[in-house]
Amino acid sequence: MYSEPVVKTSPLHVLGKIAFMAGLTALAGWGAHHVGIAVKPLQVVAVCTFTSVIFTTLFFPAHRIAVAFLGVAVLVGTRGMTLQGMLHTAELDIILFLVGMMIIVGALKDLGFLTWIIQTIINTKKMTGTTFTVILCVLSALLSSLIGEISSIVVVLALVFQVCDTLKIRATPFVLIAVLCTNIGSAATMLGNPVGIFIGNKAGLTFSQFVFGAVPIALVALVSTMIVVLLWYRKSIAGMSLKMEEHRKVHQGLGPLVRIPHRRGFFVLTATILIIAFHHQIENILGLTGADNTNAFLIITPLIIAGLLMVYRPRRARHYVENEIEWWTLLFFMLLFAIAGGLQEQEVTGKLADKLAEITTGGPKALIPFVLGITSIGSAFVDNIVFVAAFNPVIQSLLEHSSGYSILWWALLFGACFGGNITVVGSTANIVALGLLEKRGHDHISFFEWIKVGLAIGVLTGAIAWGMLNVMEMPKPLGHRPEAKAAALPAAATGFSPKTAQ
Amino acid sequence: MHKTAPPTKVSLSLTSFFSADDILPHQEDVSRNQLIRQLLLHVANGHGLMEVDAYYTAIIERENANNTVVSNGIAIPHARINDLQRPYVGVATSTKGIRFAEDEPPVHLILLVLIPRDQPGLYLQILRALANILRDRDAARSVSQLATAEEVMRFFERGGMILPDYVCAADIMDDEFIALRDNDTLKTCIDCFIAKQVSEIPVLDCDGDMVGIVRAGALLKVCLPEYLLWMSDLSPIINFEPFTAILHNEQDTRLSGILLEDFASVQMNAPAVSVAGEITRHNASRCYVLNGKKLMGLISLPRFLNKVFRE
Repeated sequence: MYSEPVVKTSPLHVLGKIAFMAGLTALAGWGAHHVGIAVKPLQVVAVCTFTSVIFTTLFFPAHRIAVAFLGVAVLVGTRGMTLQGMLHTAELDIILFLVGMMIIVGALKDLGFLTWIIQTIINTKKMTGTTFTVILCVLSALLSSLIGEISSIVVVLALVFQVCDTLKIRATPFVLIAVLCTNIGSAATMLGNPVGIFIGNKAGLTFSQFVFGAVPIALVALVSTMIVVLLWYRKSIAGMSLKMEEHRKVHQGLGPLVRIPHRRGFFVLTATILIIAFHHQIENILGLTGADNTNAFLIITPLIIAGLLMVYRPRRARHYVENEIEWWTLLFFMLLFAIAGGLQEQEVTGKLADKLAEITTGGPKALIPFVLGITSIGSAFVDNIVFVAAFNPVIQSLLEHSSGYSILWWALLFGACFGGNITVVGSTANIVALGLLEKRGHDHISFFEWIKVGLAIGVLTGAIAWGMLNVMEMPKPLGHRPEAKAAALPAAATGFSPKTAQ
Repeated sequence: MHKTAPPTKVSLSLTSFFSADDILPHQEDVSRNQLIRQLLLHVANGHGLMEVDAYYTAIIERENANNTVVSNGIAIPHARINDLQRPYVGVATSTKGIRFAEDEPPVHLILLVLIPRDQPGLYLQILRALANILRDRDAARSVSQLATAEEVMRFFERGGMILPDYVCAADIMDDEFIALRDNDTLKTCIDCFIAKQVSEIPVLDCDGDMVGIVRAGALLKVCLPEYLLWMSDLSPIINFEPFTAILHNEQDTRLSGILLEDFASVQMNAPAVSVAGEITRHNASRCYVLNGKKLMGLISLPRFLNKVFRE
């Protein structure tokens, strides 16, 4: 289970960071007031609360839940947010979806399916460094798009460590390759990253719409990344090829040759993905239509599968719930969503959206680089969900101006996922990978070692996303109306008021 | 408000537990059990202790279980007694020597110690107080030559023999241990596990500093990669396929792969009770006693329990 590292620092250093953080938070409050998006005192409180959570994730990541707790208390206590509003914006549907998926992934490990994947690759005949790297890239992206970035990186790194330990070579380049591709693959589906399900659900996209929009861009980004890393790490890859050849000469494999049963796990994963892929059709059959039931079956599918799995393996049910779910992360998400809801309730995000619409010329597409850039840079340093939570109400408010702004959901998605590659702390997958690498005594990746390749890949994939969002016809949410009609109708009638978008 | 200074701790001398009246010099031609009974009766009469038979049985049972010959002709028969208010010590000497155990030379100086059951450290503190004469090869024989109880008493008084304030880790450690070098191979390590029938071995660097431990369990972890352990049911693996790699590589693999740097350890002068803390905190079966980084000895959990509850 992933846990936050607590770094010991001197009291003076801590005080300095707190003072700096407080200064920046106050500056954000003053700035928001100055530009007119936080006019009333409660609006300033909402801005400062949200900003302090952002800075806590940056400066004191181990304390982020503590500060988020206090933030919610401040908002409710100062009447910056109603209790009902807090419960409404905590996005319990998304949290339950993630809980269900985490249990399913735990069961997939338990049933041997993920072990079987590793065994299959290890036992591949005539493997070279290049084929291993290509397999690693594809596997990282594919797995992260299906079982989530955190579970995926754990599986993929088990493979990397097994191969590198056996060959006695440095694992770090392959860890980096795996993480870069994991973050890219995580943008491809709603299952890949918590921001995926959040954005998909908020945008009102079905699973298949999301896939049709995200996969082409993720695929191009993956292939480009693969080419870059094959060149960037050519020496390490060549070294691996040599070692593999030496190993083959003495008839040694890359790991134990064990036959792992995989059919049950394969069935569980396939059933989950198929049901999720056809959730919209099932919703129609079941009469789950209307704004209140948007993506209802998508949300409950993981709960159904997880429930059935726990019925099937009752002795493991408690283990799944207690050990396979990242409660720490999910709790932070809930609190963060609630605090971002405070911005919405205080109409700060609405004012920000109005400002953005006013100052931007060139329509919604002109805002793509802005959202993509801000989210990428932000996600490089703090949890990507923070920026997604912040932009969500802004985009919803922009949609009141024009439904064309729905393109920004995609910019938000790719900015959040691809931006995570830029630094070592850019995504949870990066932090988990770094922790695993250090825990196993293999190596340490410095901030600068990471940023060299991370920045190159971040800029490249960001540019790809920007370019493709400009030329591609991205799937529109169900109920989307053509631009001319949308402009002619008041926001409330377009079916895209913030309320209905939820 | 007036503050009272904390009471200063007065160091106890071994001689505060007995006087010349508790000493029986020149006990010749008697067996171990006879001597113990005579000495016990003598102390009991002097201090009004009633349960002599029960004390005698306890001391003999303890002696039969594990003789109390400490070194250089000295024996310290003892027992933990319920409801005893304070320790009682009786001393006997024998010029000819008395055989306490088949495989030990005759003893010339005998200290019989009765300790309250709830003061487990006292016996060890008395042993520490006797450290100087325990180290001196001729001390027991010299004392046995002294003619009177008063002269024996003066010998003890001259020696100082202050009881330490507490029992430290070094007092209860076993200083005989096996260790591996950090450049040893997995083969040496596996051989050691099998030959010595141990499941944990400390690892030292070339300077003798302790760098970690290797556990037989960690070796199994290397054989069974983590991803195999994800499965709750390993029954599909019916042979020893996961061990093949180690069987191939054990001669070329260094210990670093299974070295654990997190282990239970205390410094030599740490209170013995901190050993319990370390063992519990690390869920370990033994605690290593260090002097700086140098490994001086180890305290296994059974040894610790014996020292606290039985010895």
